[in-house]
Amino acid sequence: MSIKTAYSLKEDIRESVSDIKNQLRDIKPKMVIYFASAKYSAEKLSAEMQKAFDKAAVFGNTTAGEIVTGKMLKKSLVAMAFDSSSIEDVKIEVVENIKSDGDKNLKKAFESFEKYYGIKMSDLDYKKFVGVVLIDGLSMSEEKIMDSIGNSTNIFFIGGSAGDDLAFKQTNLYANGKSYANAAILALLKPAKEFDFIKTQSFSSLDKKLTATKADESSRRVFEFNGRSAAEAYAEALGVKCEDASNYFMSNPVGLMVDEVPYVRSPQQIKEKSMCFYCNIKEGMELSVLKSTDIIKDTRKAVEEKKKELGSISGIINFHCILRTLELDQKGLAEEYGKIFSDIPTIGFSTYGEEFIGHINQTSTMLVFK
Amino acid sequence: MSGQIKNMIDSIIAQKSKGDGALSQLVKTKLVLKGIDPSKFGLATPDDPAIIQKLKQIAMEFQVAV
Repeated sequence: MSIKTAYSLKEDIRESVSDIKNQLRDIKPKMVIYFASAKYSAEKLSAEMQKAFDKAAVFGNTTAGEIVTGKMLKKSLVAMAFDSSSIEDVKIEVVENIKSDGDKNLKKAFESFEKYYGIKMSDLDYKKFVGVVLIDGLSMSEEKIMDSIGNSTNIFFIGGSAGDDLAFKQTNLYANGKSYANAAILALLKPAKEFDFIKTQSFSSLDKKLTATKADESSRRVFEFNGRSAAEAYAEALGVKCEDASNYFMSNPVGLMVDEVPYVRSPQQIKEKSMCFYCNIKEGMELSVLKSTDIIKDTRKAVEEKKKELGSISGIINFHCILRTLELDQKGLAEEYGKIFSDIPTIGFSTYGEEFIGHINQTSTMLVFK
Repeated sequence: MSGQIKNMIDSIIAQKSKGDGALSQLVKTKLVLKGIDPSKFGLATPDDPAIIQKLKQIAMEFQVAV
């Protein structure tokens, strides 16, 4: 078997890692990606995982909930192992101090990739290489990192922002047997087989447009839409009172439309009639007001279509927005969501933001291996 | 004068995507995320200096010439 998953709900780190290692004993991993609750000490878990899979490239991050084949979990450790028949090669780089030195350190990471693979990042074949990006979910640096990645290469980087079980205190990344905050992990993969992506969000457009006429990108805050206070314009677009607008955030985010597909920006809170988002909005951007649809139905359709397109799927890494998880939990649908992936080796986590070309919200971005 | 913005956008997309159709779509998405929606500009669009400057900056970031 080329891709295999495992999970553990044990409390003790050594017991959890041993549990995972035991479940993966019949695979010789070249790469192990894992996601874990923040209940585990990040430093200890990273050291134990690296020790357990000492011949493999091992990396991952803390979460706000985990996903593994057929299940949505909480307070667990989930892992996916790839052998050399599924991953031909992989190189991991940690980009540290992303808040202050993201660009400079990203450049160093890319130089390392170029040296390792012997190909310039700008010349890498997007059909043969793919990047996984895991970012500190509280750094507010995702847009900048994704923009810089996109400037330098045409290969796709897909991933998510680490969580911390909704404590919003510290998220951690794991690599090289260590843990990192204020950082991003980049893994440049050369899969042995075909791969593809799913980007699915369950929204339709309401045909109501909001143009950001005054915004501060760095704080992800919009002061004005359509020349009026952001909260008033948003409420009016929905036909609701301004004081009730926050009740509609989850079901009615806004989307930057690209060929009628939304790149979702989710509102976080109203501050003195301005609106703060989980993703930046640039001044001048025109956004569509969205209306939620059915996550289960839409996800199942997206996975089935991809399976049909590829013929078969040997593994999925699912970067699944925490806001989608909260909605599924509220509606009692988490188990049903997990079952969509019951016959596909799957790993994933509930993120504080998703990455695919850029930084987005209320979406699942999935790396799919044939 | 008009049309310069569309020509610059087309040139950036062609150079960055190296003529690959799938990559053209990727580059268009990157432009939208950078705040320039290619579908909003045509040959009749007036040459707005602020947008032209923004496209020059994007071209520099993509390391292409316009």
